[in-house]
Amino acid sequence: MPSTSHKYLTLFVAEASEHLATLQSELVRLEQEPPAAPLWDAIFRRMHSVKGSAATLGFTRIVDIAHAAENLIARLKGKEGKIERAEVDLLFAATDALVKEIVKLDKKEEDESTITLVDRLAKAAQALPDPALSARPVPPPPVMPTADPSLPRLDVSVVLSKTCAAPGARALIVQRKLKAMGTLLEMEPTPAQLMQQKGGARIAALLATLTATDEVREALVALPEVEQVEVRIAPAARPVEEGRPLPPPPVPIVSPPQASMRGQATPPLVRGLTPPPVDADELRPEPTVRVRAEALDQLLDQAADVMHGIARLREAAKRLPEHVAARLDGDIDRLRRTARELHGRVMSARLTPFSSLTERLPRAVRDLAHRLEKTIELDVQGADVELDRTVIEALGDPLSHLVRNAADHGLEDPQTRERAGKPPRGKLTLTARRERDKVIVEVQDDGRGMDAAALRRKAVKSAAMTQEAADALSDDAAYELAFLPGVSTRDDATEVSGRGVGLDAVQRKVESLGGKASIRSVPGKGTTFVLELPLSVSMANLLLVQVGGELYGVPLHRVLLTTEYDLSARGGEGFDARSLVVMGELVRAYGLAKLFGLPSLAPPGPRPFVVMEVDGLRFAVSVDRLVGQEEAVLKPLFPPLDRVRGLSGITVLGNGRPLLVLDPRGLAELCGIHETSKPAPAAKGAA
Amino acid sequence: MPKRVLIVDDALFMRNTLRDIFSSAGFTVAGEADDGVQAVNLFRELKPDLVTMDIVMPYKSGIDATREIVQLDPSAVVVMCSALGQESLVMEAIEAGATDFIVKPFRGEDVLAVVKKVLGE
Repeated sequence: MPSTSHKYLTLFVAEASEHLATLQSELVRLEQEPPAAPLWDAIFRRMHSVKGSAATLGFTRIVDIAHAAENLIARLKGKEGKIERAEVDLLFAATDALVKEIVKLDKKEEDESTITLVDRLAKAAQALPDPALSARPVPPPPVMPTADPSLPRLDVSVVLSKTCAAPGARALIVQRKLKAMGTLLEMEPTPAQLMQQKGGARIAALLATLTATDEVREALVALPEVEQVEVRIAPAARPVEEGRPLPPPPVPIVSPPQASMRGQATPPLVRGLTPPPVDADELRPEPTVRVRAEALDQLLDQAADVMHGIARLREAAKRLPEHVAARLDGDIDRLRRTARELHGRVMSARLTPFSSLTERLPRAVRDLAHRLEKTIELDVQGADVELDRTVIEALGDPLSHLVRNAADHGLEDPQTRERAGKPPRGKLTLTARRERDKVIVEVQDDGRGMDAAALRRKAVKSAAMTQEAADALSDDAAYELAFLPGVSTRDDATEVSGRGVGLDAVQRKVESLGGKASIRSVPGKGTTFVLELPLSVSMANLLLVQVGGELYGVPLHRVLLTTEYDLSARGGEGFDARSLVVMGELVRAYGLAKLFGLPSLAPPGPRPFVVMEVDGLRFAVSVDRLVGQEEAVLKPLFPPLDRVRGLSGITVLGNGRPLLVLDPRGLAELCGIHETSKPAPAAKGAA
Repeated sequence: MPKRVLIVDDALFMRNTLRDIFSSAGFTVAGEADDGVQAVNLFRELKPDLVTMDIVMPYKSGIDATREIVQLDPSAVVVMCSALGQESLVMEAIEAGATDFIVKPFRGEDVLAVVKKVLGE
């Protein structure tokens, strides 16, 4: 094993994982459409690429699986008629096994299941005809080579190295060399006979040539993997046709000179890789380089640092005498614009296509459908719409949640669908589209739709709202109740999506990204979950507030207004929840310090309040001090902070200190607003 | 003059591995291509002393690329990089004009042994 190989282990893992992920979607397509040659070629190529690199690293288990799978793929491509589900299942099993292998590359012991899987793949392949054999061009009719009888005949014996991995190909090179030096009258065994044999073969040939024996020997010794060469002048008396026993029937050794070199029919596998009518140059994507995601994160951090540095410079410049500051201001402004642009460019380099989220879904939906005994067609649109990597990463769970939910609860089984006059195959559509600075992601099913009455009942039962409030909701507004914790549309928990389906978690995640989730549903026709997402989450305008000696940021888009109020004047200290009058409306007020269990350092008396709005619900939190406003680059929370309710992110201030960013929805939950408030969530979007 | 090599493989992993092998043996890596189309274009442009050619690649297979390269320059030295179990493809590539071949998995010295032989060193 060359040590150079390990240097690229991560690269191998990245490339192989990418291939295997795409492979899964391609395998799903095999079942959905009559597979065309390019699809087979792509599948073959991926499996093959994984095998080749793995072989170089010495990962024999990966090589074994990929090799066996590759053989099966090659034969399936040549198979006429439908591809069996069991065959595709096997390829999925191979893909899964490869993914598993790649994940835990360092284990050395032989895995029993690998052997069985390789065995099953091989058996399935053996059951099918070998395209490499059947598709190979029919050999031209045997032409017995003839040579000027006056030419000397040379007996040539060549021993190939034992380590020779492809003796057939090696023999072909020997054959070509011999032909270049004279007329090859016999060669045994032929290259074709040596194919798939192990190394160490001995080749005997009879050559009619004027070339000296030494010269022939030297030419052959110069070939790689040729170990031993003997060249002798053959007894002249011996007639060509009778010489040593030849295997009957006579094997063509010399074909017409050009026929074997050029224009020979190519086996379909390779020919399929080259779509003839299209100019291949046009198909080539723009040149790209592979950059580690981490490197982009660092770049983004540094771009943010530059921006923070400039902000500090600006602050410092304010303290300079005015005539100096005026000159500096222009420069700083220019610098700030450049830094912003730089930041923007890094952000756009981090954009990742929606497809990176959806490429695993076809497989998941297929498996789900089989398990649920439903037939589901998945349609993904807008796969090339791009989102920030942070959004993409955070969206993975919610999206697969919604898809599982739709497959399990939304779509009916084929019998029910047929009774309802629908096609038996349920349709699940995932769409991503760009709308100004937002990306809208929709998960749509054509299933049974939501049951507004059931949702109302559940909401009341789980004490999320009163009967009156529930009754007052329009159906459209009632669908949104599914986002409340503990409200599910079905009573039976299932293996697939569980009870309660955690739609509240979906909504919380989307909102922590600065997005919005909503539901549209039409009974009997289906349900659509609409996720409105920001293109990037990283820039946010924050209101800085101080509580218990610490600064916190509140996303400004959630802040309705700030006000000052003296609650103590109305009934003493230690309030949990009181009310303020905001724009002529009573709004519940909470102490931020109390919510987080922090000491409040503000003296008794009037205090600042931040009034926020979540889902049309308004509430106020008191803080010790309002500090100001800042545009900041948000970063996701790391454990264990990511589990603290009421926090959504972290950023670094101009002075280098970290700042926790509050999550207004989480705060509302901490305050228990959903349980205590009467107003209905506003209806969003008509069905 | 160090010999100049063009490395053709659709896997970056393989290209990097081959690049290290050649660089450490004093070759100059003149270029790298990740498909057959680029391989032919780069060959035309760089006129390398040696091409290592993967077989299964997108857009244009290594066999077709080899055929075109040999048509451009009948003295071109093209060494196929094939994986195990591809013997018939390798044989086809040889018939298309490939000079020689190596079979993955290979060690650096295997590659260099073949390459030095075909370059007549």
